[in-house]
Amino acid sequence: MVNYLVFLAISVAIFALFSLGLNLQWGYTGLINFGHVAFMTVGAYTTVLLSSQGIPVVMAVVIGAALAALLGLFIGFSTLRLREDYLAIVTIGVSEVIRLVALNEEKLTRGAFGVQDFPLPLANITPNLPARLVMIGLLTLIAGLALWRMWRWIWKREWATGYLDKALRSRPTISSIILGILSSLFGVTIYFVGALALYDYSYKAGLMLLSLIVLAVVIWALEKLVRSPWGRVLKAIREDEQIPRALGKNVFWYKMQAFMLGGAIAGVAGAFYAWQLTTVYPSNFETLVTFNAWIIVVLGGAGNNAGTLLGAVIFWAYDALTRFMLPAIVQSTVVHSIFPAIELLNDERQGAFRIMVIGLILILLMVWRPQGILGKKEELTLGR
Amino acid sequence: MVDNTEALTTQKEPYPLLAASGLCKSFGGIKAVDNAEIQVAQGTITGLIGPNGAGKTTFFNLLSNFIRPDKGRVIFDGEPIQNLRSHKITQMGMVRTFQVARVLSRLSVMENMLLGAQKQTGENFWRVWLQAKLVKREERQLRERAMEVLESVGLASKAQDYAGALSGGQRKLLEMGRALMTNPKLILLDEPAAGVNPTLIREICDRIVLWNQQGMTFLIIEHNMDVIMSLCSRVWVLAEGHNLAVGTPAEIQNNPQVLEAYLGQ
Repeated sequence: MVNYLVFLAISVAIFALFSLGLNLQWGYTGLINFGHVAFMTVGAYTTVLLSSQGIPVVMAVVIGAALAALLGLFIGFSTLRLREDYLAIVTIGVSEVIRLVALNEEKLTRGAFGVQDFPLPLANITPNLPARLVMIGLLTLIAGLALWRMWRWIWKREWATGYLDKALRSRPTISSIILGILSSLFGVTIYFVGALALYDYSYKAGLMLLSLIVLAVVIWALEKLVRSPWGRVLKAIREDEQIPRALGKNVFWYKMQAFMLGGAIAGVAGAFYAWQLTTVYPSNFETLVTFNAWIIVVLGGAGNNAGTLLGAVIFWAYDALTRFMLPAIVQSTVVHSIFPAIELLNDERQGAFRIMVIGLILILLMVWRPQGILGKKEELTLGR
Repeated sequence: MVDNTEALTTQKEPYPLLAASGLCKSFGGIKAVDNAEIQVAQGTITGLIGPNGAGKTTFFNLLSNFIRPDKGRVIFDGEPIQNLRSHKITQMGMVRTFQVARVLSRLSVMENMLLGAQKQTGENFWRVWLQAKLVKREERQLRERAMEVLESVGLASKAQDYAGALSGGQRKLLEMGRALMTNPKLILLDEPAAGVNPTLIREICDRIVLWNQQGMTFLIIEHNMDVIMSLCSRVWVLAEGHNLAVGTPAEIQNNPQVLEAYLGQ
């Protein structure tokens, strides 16, 4: 159980990181990127291939992120001057090209055989008690910061209004407080599981801590960036790029920066993805991965980093719950007597069914809450 | 017709802030702007009028290089700008507004204003990190300046509202204020009075006169003749993509060719 929860925590951190890159590109800058997984592929393969050549893991990740950003530069130069739908088409093509190169360049990537036995961070260490306590301390720090931010937001509604001044802050509502308490309980439970896992140190526990630290740093940095004048230009480009152009901003270059930075973040996520899988196959990087990130961003609310994090938590919570609950429901005799047709939902169909329900949830969300869970309703009703 | 073209070339201002000549632009077979010219003297309010479809807005787009001209030269502040990209032109001090007011709907009125400021340290990715204190200080100063401008256009109470919640007339004012935030030498206004109620029009005109007295130069496209007559010292008339006449508002009002272009024969 602990192992599975640790796996979930790493998955949430990786996909949150991955989706934050997309959120910067699409949620803040309005760039439609349907090939986000390409950056992840480049980041993952660069990291594992370089580190198996003896290059230090940290340096390999940095180079991986840089190469992912370079890929962004390459795609951007060919398409960012065009209308935005062209970017969507080109990115989806590039991600397939990258995956096919990984599959067929067997000298470089070992193709479908996959890359195994690459160095993993924090893998071959057995930390003594003080070291483990320091690790638990770091985890406590992150959990504490997250809880503090969440309650500050619930109390002051600060994140919801962003740059705006005090005038727009509203009082906390009962429902937001209840939701806050529930998610605090959830968070504290996860925290205890994480602390327990770190106490009985294993590689996956170390990876969990590392990914959470990186996630926390990236969220902090992105929050600072999108609130800076730099982020203001990005948001202006999302709204109507002719305005920043008329106001003397180099729109092309800003789009490029957002695209490259989002790509670099996805590259780092790719490195963690590889470390979690411990073997890397081209089939890990199919187009579906991109759309998982889209689900996460849309679910949480585009242009909202906290929403993206929440989206990743919900995505994996849904995945875990249905993985265990659906077979139990199908096999229970009570459900059988009420609804015999459930027998048709055999093991093979259950997998497809779970994905189908995600689609249904997204459709319902778009009907009732098109702005996403943490998005702002008022923004949708504004005249253009 | 021939007389008039001669008149155009002989009436050049001594040192125009903006001078364009021989501008051409075709869209397919349609010559939207055909060998048009204009001069805007430093410190003046210059008008650009013409019947619908005369190519005025296209002419603006050519001046600011939002559309690349097929032919022609544009000199601003002594330098040729016809090959510069639009944002560079704005950085040189020539800013434009749009015929249908464009605002950043999901940003606050204040953020719209702040976007206008030039040479912001915080707009550089690295400097956000390396010079965080300077960025913060600049931001505070810019907010104060933006607030002053917002007060002068009567939008101070709306500073924290979404710009998308403003009415059409207020958007025009916001656009003008935002253009002012760039600290320009020349503002190109595309129909500042279109769709604005008469009281507000008078207010806008008063603002323009005030800013002009502070040393800002204006080039205004407008259909409302009262606005043109009361503001402009010089009016250029465009019809079917080329210059028809130029002169003081009074001269233009009594020019038979202009009347013909507007009313038909």
